[in-house]
Amino acid sequence: MPQLTRLERRDADMVLDWDDGTKHVVTYEDIRHSCPCASCSPLRNGDDSSIMLRQNVENLPQEKPKVKPIGKYAISFEWNQGCSSGIYRFERLWKLGEKQDPDGGKTYVHGAW
Amino acid sequence: MTRPPNRLMADSQVKINVPGQADPATSVEDQKQMEQAYNKMKRKMAIAQMGKAIKHKIMVLSGKGGVGKSTVATGLALSLAQQGLKVGLLDIDITGPNVPKMMGLDGHRLDVMDGRIHPAKGHLGVKVISMAFLLEDEDTPVVWRGPIKLGAIQQFIGDVEWGDLDYLIIDFPPGTSDEPLTVAQNLPDISGMVIVTTPQDVAVLDSRKSLSFAKSLKVDVLGVIENMSGYTIHGKSKPNETVELFGPGGKTISAIADDSGLWRATLDIFKSGGGKKIADDFNVPFLGALPFDPGFVRGGDDGVHRIVSEPKGASAIAFADVVSAIKAQVEQSSTQPELEII
Repeated sequence: MPQLTRLERRDADMVLDWDDGTKHVVTYEDIRHSCPCASCSPLRNGDDSSIMLRQNVENLPQEKPKVKPIGKYAISFEWNQGCSSGIYRFERLWKLGEKQDPDGGKTYVHGAW
Repeated sequence: MTRPPNRLMADSQVKINVPGQADPATSVEDQKQMEQAYNKMKRKMAIAQMGKAIKHKIMVLSGKGGVGKSTVATGLALSLAQQGLKVGLLDIDITGPNVPKMMGLDGHRLDVMDGRIHPAKGHLGVKVISMAFLLEDEDTPVVWRGPIKLGAIQQFIGDVEWGDLDYLIIDFPPGTSDEPLTVAQNLPDISGMVIVTTPQDVAVLDSRKSLSFAKSLKVDVLGVIENMSGYTIHGKSKPNETVELFGPGGKTISAIADDSGLWRATLDIFKSGGGKKIADDFNVPFLGALPFDPGFVRGGDDGVHRIVSEPKGASAIAFADVVSAIKAQVEQSSTQPELEII
């Protein structure tokens, strides 16, 4: 997988630049809906709770998050409202950019990171 | 001399709140939040500064306990210091901190000045930080859940006045849990991880997890060290006589005495070659093997590491070889371009 070299925060989405020249645009709504934290991830299980999570995310006010690098492998987002606990591995951001299911079609089982 | 007030700041409407001098109208809760934010910011700046002031940061891990990780971490620090380098040793083993004992710093207390923790100085000037310095006595257990451990580790990273160092060696408890994860997430520009194993299959199996852990966190693996690799015994017999020894696993070992009748043989107590094999399997460097040396046990208990008591002994030489291999790897280790966030 290519390496993430640049992240530009815009009002409603962000532009991700990868070192192979790929450019992705990922909306904050998608980021928040795919939060990998232990509270959010069990809600993405394909039933009503998944729809509820999406609605909750859509009801949040639009804001530009603070972005913090986590080691050499991930980033986290800090929002004024909503969940800020998720640590997004670069692989996860790549999948979101490629419009793939970041949980690989499975109910996401939260790992330590 | 009193400095004139900053013109821009004096003219602006922005209020600068320093903990302890907050506006009296501010609620206690607000003040607490401001203090927390202030401390967080201070720590963040200190961590960034630490990233620059310490040239190389090396994590020493093992999957299995009892492989001699702390002995190896201490040995690496001392061996580097022997070469005239400025070295720090951070003992992240919160519940079983024993580096201070090995460094002759038993019962030492840390100095705290201006909110910064000053490390203790052990043998050869190695700076040491350990949880042991904060315990009332050596029998006091640390019974903490993950989040509290995490806070302590962040303090060890952000609130310690290390000064300029060539190398910081970080010793961890066994496994791939909170401690190495927190350091890998918070400490900038880590040079890499060194995995310590003993030769037997059980230790190698656990070390494989540590290697996968490093890969998952995108931290470079500098290599694998095989510890307790072979115990060399000496004896005397008739000159040029062949001596037969019954070694571990029913293996017969032959040694030929020299002209003065002295002979030596190495017994592979915990098998041999496990470290090399795992390094080959994961395509990472094998940094070398350290001998099984009962002198480490005595030295650890007495607070005088083998490298200090016998700086030209076989173990010190083995450590120097491993350190040379690590230095070569550190020079080569990839420096990823920093992620630009705008």
